[in-house]
Amino acid sequence: MLEWIQRGLSRGRITTRYPRRPEHPPAGYRGSVVVLDGENAPAGVERLCPTGAIALDAQRRITLDRGRCILCGECVRGAPERFAFASRYETAERARSGLLVGDVHRPEDALEPARKALGEQARMLRRSIHVRHIDCGSDGSEEWEIQALWNPYYDIQRLGFFLTNSPRHADILLVTGGVTGPMRKPLERTWNVMPDPKALVAVGTDACSGGLATEGELVAGGVDRVLPVDVYVPGSPPAPIAIMHALLLATGQLAPGEVAA
Amino acid sequence: MSATRQTSHAPGFPPEQLGAVREPAPAGEVRLALDAAAFAPGARAMQEAGARFATMLLADSPEPSLVAAFALRGELVLLRAPAGGASAEFGSIGAWWPAARWAERELAELHGVRFGGPEHPGRLTAPDADLLDRHVSGLDVFSIPYGPVRSGIFEAIQFYIESGGEDVPRVETRPFFKRRGLEARFAGLAPDVAVHVAERVAGIASCAYASAFSQAVERALGVQAPQRAERWRAVYCELERMACHLDVIAKEAETTALYVGQARFQILKEQVMRLRNRLTGNRFGRGAILPGGVRGEGTMDLDELLEQVDRIERQLRRDRRMFLGTASMTDRLIGAGRLPRALVEDYGAVGPLARGSGLSTDARHERPYGNYKRLGVQVVSERDGDSMARVNVRFGELSESLRILRQTIDHLRRRDGELRAPLPALGEGAAFAWVEAPQGELLIRVELRAGRLHNVHVASPSLRNWALFDHAFPKDVLTDFAFIEHSFGLTPAGADR
Repeated sequence: MLEWIQRGLSRGRITTRYPRRPEHPPAGYRGSVVVLDGENAPAGVERLCPTGAIALDAQRRITLDRGRCILCGECVRGAPERFAFASRYETAERARSGLLVGDVHRPEDALEPARKALGEQARMLRRSIHVRHIDCGSDGSEEWEIQALWNPYYDIQRLGFFLTNSPRHADILLVTGGVTGPMRKPLERTWNVMPDPKALVAVGTDACSGGLATEGELVAGGVDRVLPVDVYVPGSPPAPIAIMHALLLATGQLAPGEVAA
Repeated sequence: MSATRQTSHAPGFPPEQLGAVREPAPAGEVRLALDAAAFAPGARAMQEAGARFATMLLADSPEPSLVAAFALRGELVLLRAPAGGASAEFGSIGAWWPAARWAERELAELHGVRFGGPEHPGRLTAPDADLLDRHVSGLDVFSIPYGPVRSGIFEAIQFYIESGGEDVPRVETRPFFKRRGLEARFAGLAPDVAVHVAERVAGIASCAYASAFSQAVERALGVQAPQRAERWRAVYCELERMACHLDVIAKEAETTALYVGQARFQILKEQVMRLRNRLTGNRFGRGAILPGGVRGEGTMDLDELLEQVDRIERQLRRDRRMFLGTASMTDRLIGAGRLPRALVEDYGAVGPLARGSGLSTDARHERPYGNYKRLGVQVVSERDGDSMARVNVRFGELSESLRILRQTIDHLRRRDGELRAPLPALGEGAAFAWVEAPQGELLIRVELRAGRLHNVHVASPSLRNWALFDHAFPKDVLTDFAFIEHSFGLTPAGADR
């Protein structure tokens, strides 16, 4: 056992300092898609997207729904003058409309009372937040990225987030997958037994909108058709830092739009 | 590629009385057409010839048919019987071959294929978390529905456990909580778009699924991916295998509360994930592989990649020695979840699970494809059949993956070449392809019509291996559950599709 302790200490510190220090993805990391030029788009550009994330309005202006985007890059390759990949981790938003890129009307993101209360509780409890996860039909990769938050590179416990096995002790519910038929009841039951204040984070594009799943197989396209979602993290799958960012948004430790300085 | 190849078979196969007609097929496939009435006897003949049942599906070409696939001596033998007209009835194979049970139930429930087998209570493909359909009896025996909401961060699946507190007389595995209908999602897509669906069938094995799908399209259309593309695919697939195996080992360490050990293997896994991120722009290697080849060169200097591989190997060697030298760790694995070889064969299990019980099945070796044709694979096999054996297989395969990586990167470094072969615009055809995914042999069958996907079947190793989980507690107690589950190392997403 002593040898293990030595081995553990020999490596020195590898843990990220996020959010006190920014964390930059490697060049070429496909974190999200941005619209370079959304005006006067050629008809048919919306058909490049296999999940219908791209829409054109009557004035042929592009709207991109990052909540539906699986980052496959078909639009970036098909219309490189219109779309590009952005190499960034912080993709989470508090409102579904925040995931829309383009000229869209965005309602003011008012702090919902529940989230505000959770933020206050986070301060009161000296940042002791218990997290519970439920899989409602993910592809399995989101689970890996959430698990990674507790590995030595990310060590989210240093920010006061702990994993709990009982929803009755949980403050935050992480939901992956677009909610398949058999998972609807277990999801609702899990959420209902969680004490207030509580927050729900939809992790991954599948959870945000249903992703690539065949329509008829899901109860609804995305978790927010079943339960109110506090933070959306698009990505297929989102990287650990993206999920960490979402958790900090959910507890009010980071403000929307604010990224690590 | 699509030329018929005559191969020698065991004498007397297929038996003449079956009346099987040999049809043209790409290399590695043997296609036999027979009557619906001869379907089950044909499967029986396959079993007697020593074949492993792989999967069963409904095909649309050359005519609506029921197709069963068997692995036999380095070839994939396909039995096909017309399923036209709702009247066709096939004899049940699952009644006497456990490997076919779930495949049969899936086809019966989702497509109304009639096998005339025994009726099953409850639906396999539409599970109900609240359904407790058995009344248990016995001294202090109670039942625990474990899942689909798991303790910890795990995918949704339910285990219906009956226990007297210690021993576990019965476990029933209930998959399909996360069925997303992805096989149907392929239909109508062009191959290079459909590969995004393949990558998301089982997210932790994206590269294996993308490779198998791409190879199936290539085989169906008679296209050969360039050598350099096959090498890149091998690099991505071996890195993926390493990540999956390291994940299993880290989880075993966590279950024993060997937290430094857990952290060490998590660190190694994260290093592999970051390597993949630098190579492909995605931590799971998504978007790198597509039908015809690969999308581009890996975006990392090959010398540096080689250095990183060496570095991981140095660390792994020491962590492995310490893991295997920690008695509190190995004591929990030795003897836990012992699976006899005969049982594993009956269920047609594949991957590290089968190799832990003395089998040597590995798609890279049985039916070499792509880069493995040139490189070969040392199949790692253990005899004991317990969780320790399955972990040992994974340690052995980590070393083998590192060898393949080093050799392949070296080849990539020395020679340049094409990365992508063009696909015919309106190609037609149907073919199987196989890949050894980290969880075991993965088979994907595609049918293309006018250049678009028409009918896709995914036979995931996870679904085939999970049927065996019901039998994994011969002498084990409830507290062994997590060790045994992790040692299986499967993914519900792949099983449920």
